[in-house]
Amino acid sequence: MAGGYTGKILRVNLTDGKFKIETLPEEWIKPYIGGDGFGAKLLFEELPAGIDPLGEQNKLIIATGPITGTMWPMSGRTVLISKAPLTGIWGESHVGGFLGAELKYAGYDLLVIEGKSEEPVYIDIHNSDLQLRDAKNKWGLTTDKVTTAIKKDKRDPDVQVAAIGPAGERKVRYASVMINHARAAGRTGMGAVLGSKNVKAIAIRGHGAVEVHDLEGFMKFAKEGHMRVRTNPIAQGMSKVGTWGLVAVKQEIGEFPTYNHQTGVFDGWEKLSGDYIRPRHTIGDRACFGCSLGCKKVNYIKDGPFAGTLEEGPEYEGLMAFGSLLGIDDFATTLKANQICNRYGMDIISAGSTIAFAIEAFVKGAITEKDTGGLKLEWGNREQLIKLLEMIGEREGFGELLAEGSKRAADSLGRGTDKFAMHVKGMEVSGQDGRTHRSIALGHATGARGADHLRSLVVVDQLGYEDVATKRWGADKLPEIIDPYTEKYKANAVFESENAYCIRDTLIVCWYTVSWPPIFWMDDFAKILPLTTGENYFSKVENLTEIAERQVTLKRLFNAREGITKKDDSLPDRFTKDPMPEGPGKGQVVDLEPMLRDYYTLRGWDLETGLPTENTLKRLSLEWTKAHS
Amino acid sequence: MSDIIDHEVVYLPSQLIVDFSKCTGCRICELACSAKHEGKFQPSLARLKIIRYDDLGLDIPNVCGPCETAPCVDICPVFAMRRDPITKMTYLDEDMCILCKSCVGACVNGVILLDTVKMRIIKCDHCGGDPECAKVCPTGAITYGPDTSLATVDRHGKILGYLKEIERTDKVHGTGAE
Repeated sequence: MAGGYTGKILRVNLTDGKFKIETLPEEWIKPYIGGDGFGAKLLFEELPAGIDPLGEQNKLIIATGPITGTMWPMSGRTVLISKAPLTGIWGESHVGGFLGAELKYAGYDLLVIEGKSEEPVYIDIHNSDLQLRDAKNKWGLTTDKVTTAIKKDKRDPDVQVAAIGPAGERKVRYASVMINHARAAGRTGMGAVLGSKNVKAIAIRGHGAVEVHDLEGFMKFAKEGHMRVRTNPIAQGMSKVGTWGLVAVKQEIGEFPTYNHQTGVFDGWEKLSGDYIRPRHTIGDRACFGCSLGCKKVNYIKDGPFAGTLEEGPEYEGLMAFGSLLGIDDFATTLKANQICNRYGMDIISAGSTIAFAIEAFVKGAITEKDTGGLKLEWGNREQLIKLLEMIGEREGFGELLAEGSKRAADSLGRGTDKFAMHVKGMEVSGQDGRTHRSIALGHATGARGADHLRSLVVVDQLGYEDVATKRWGADKLPEIIDPYTEKYKANAVFESENAYCIRDTLIVCWYTVSWPPIFWMDDFAKILPLTTGENYFSKVENLTEIAERQVTLKRLFNAREGITKKDDSLPDRFTKDPMPEGPGKGQVVDLEPMLRDYYTLRGWDLETGLPTENTLKRLSLEWTKAHS
Repeated sequence: MSDIIDHEVVYLPSQLIVDFSKCTGCRICELACSAKHEGKFQPSLARLKIIRYDDLGLDIPNVCGPCETAPCVDICPVFAMRRDPITKMTYLDEDMCILCKSCVGACVNGVILLDTVKMRIIKCDHCGGDPECAKVCPTGAITYGPDTSLATVDRHGKILGYLKEIERTDKVHGTGAE
């Protein structure tokens, strides 16, 4: 087996309670590398089209890559892959922490969870000691309590626990899986998949090793990589305020989603900015595995209605989803809301966005107190936000409807409420706005799992890194490519970024230092991959680009099998019809069609249907997919 | 604690100094340590250990020393664990070791390990005066060099704090002996 891999796939079948260890097919390595790539290949082959994501047939994959568990910067990422309960299409959720590294030390590259258990169980992996343990006494507990209880059961503080909370048990469509208290695999509802299989948690502990092909060369380059992170001024700022630093930037460029994306500037932004929060509330800096940046912040609230709240997070997206999006200018509220989401196990972006949908529909008179069960919804109401989140986690009253996500809620309410539901393919829009940042409009529309800010978000144009843009795309595409208000060349930027991020997601390394700040890119991956695996095929950027293209197209084929076509690559009307009302981008709207056509051309997808053409399948050696459609 | 007699109090020329308020718990030190000494990435064989308290948001690095009285040296029945007369670093003479594992239990920082595969005691040697962990630590939570005796005094306070913490968690969770 090539270096970096453990060479084993662990399968657990919950229906008959049996574990099975398989050899990782060596022929997967060259075309798919690992992580997302292995997951896409396995899920496409093994899931029949049209199955219920919450049914017994669905599978959940926890995947790692060759870099996971080594000393390359930010190598602690893991990905959870399944058919998504929120969208019914391709679902994946990347998460930091230590779970992936621990899985590899236990001796497995992938964990595949199949079938459905009769009784609540937790999966206990301790090197080669594999057990399904009874979790009846843990059912109903919040994620923090489950994690503590399992660590106590195992008498080992180093056990990595991935747990679901009450929201996952009740199959809230955007339920998350929480890794050791505060790392969330949030999006697309992986927690609901585990809940539907009666799996309360996964506990992993490993004492083994990850060996790389050329240790000396690897260590030299990894140490250089760490120094590049440590000396980068943006990374240094990030280790102080994490992603909160984005709030001031977003406000300045008019892309801070406010009042359910109605506008891009928020009057109360200062109280949500990093410079305001850190000296008042932050009590500690933390990092995930192998990270020299350390963007996670532990925060404590001393006084006010939420006094005594101690929690990691929220990130920028949390400040957006529970702050500006709902008109709340108070950090303590966002921290408390974040804590409730962590404990119940719910995705922050989807929860905040679904609540914003309900508030706007209520304020504009589309729904009334009859629908909400007597609640008078309004912008900026802090206590109401906490109450609504608890109702969603418990699926109680109006929370029952909101637990289905904004798309399903709008469908069942009717009365024109769909225009307030900010989603693409069923997944709620993250904290960006295509009107003042054109490339993300294309990214949101074409993302494999819906309105996604992690698979193709181009930061270079948004923040105007002229030098980086010249290096990546050539001087001839400037200045248009870094102009956030024009559609021109945006498909090129998205195409190339998505390719690089695909490789990032197969290694697997963190979003930060690849996507933002721009420290590592394809040429660095082309250096570290051969050092790790010993496979020289990875040393050419064009080969990596082909692997990335294969992956994007494979996910597209997975979605196509579920009925996704060009008509689904759309945006809510708010972004394409309502001009931005204020701020630097005043009057801007998105013209999606030209960008879509450019993008399809680059990807080799049909311009009318948006599906990969026959030539593309041949070029990317994806003809095997036809046997599974 | 008063009946413990200090056999030997030594001045330590250089020591690994830990500032846990700076530690982010990234465990790069464990990775670099295992890569240097074992040739692979295997934190379970690292010569130091980060204890992460995820519920409290706290990370505490445990390294070898500074010990002005060294329990591992005191307890070794065959004098395989000794102190270098010049660097004052405690080290293991593997040829003399009888694998009784007394030092594993005696180490107040819990960083002496038994490798159950190769059957040997694993013990930090400060990389011969140039420790890898201090070099790779991104936040300066682990540093190496001569310092005032305050670091040693501080460590005594840390151990007392630990004992209190163990007492507290035992009260809350039980010791398992019930």
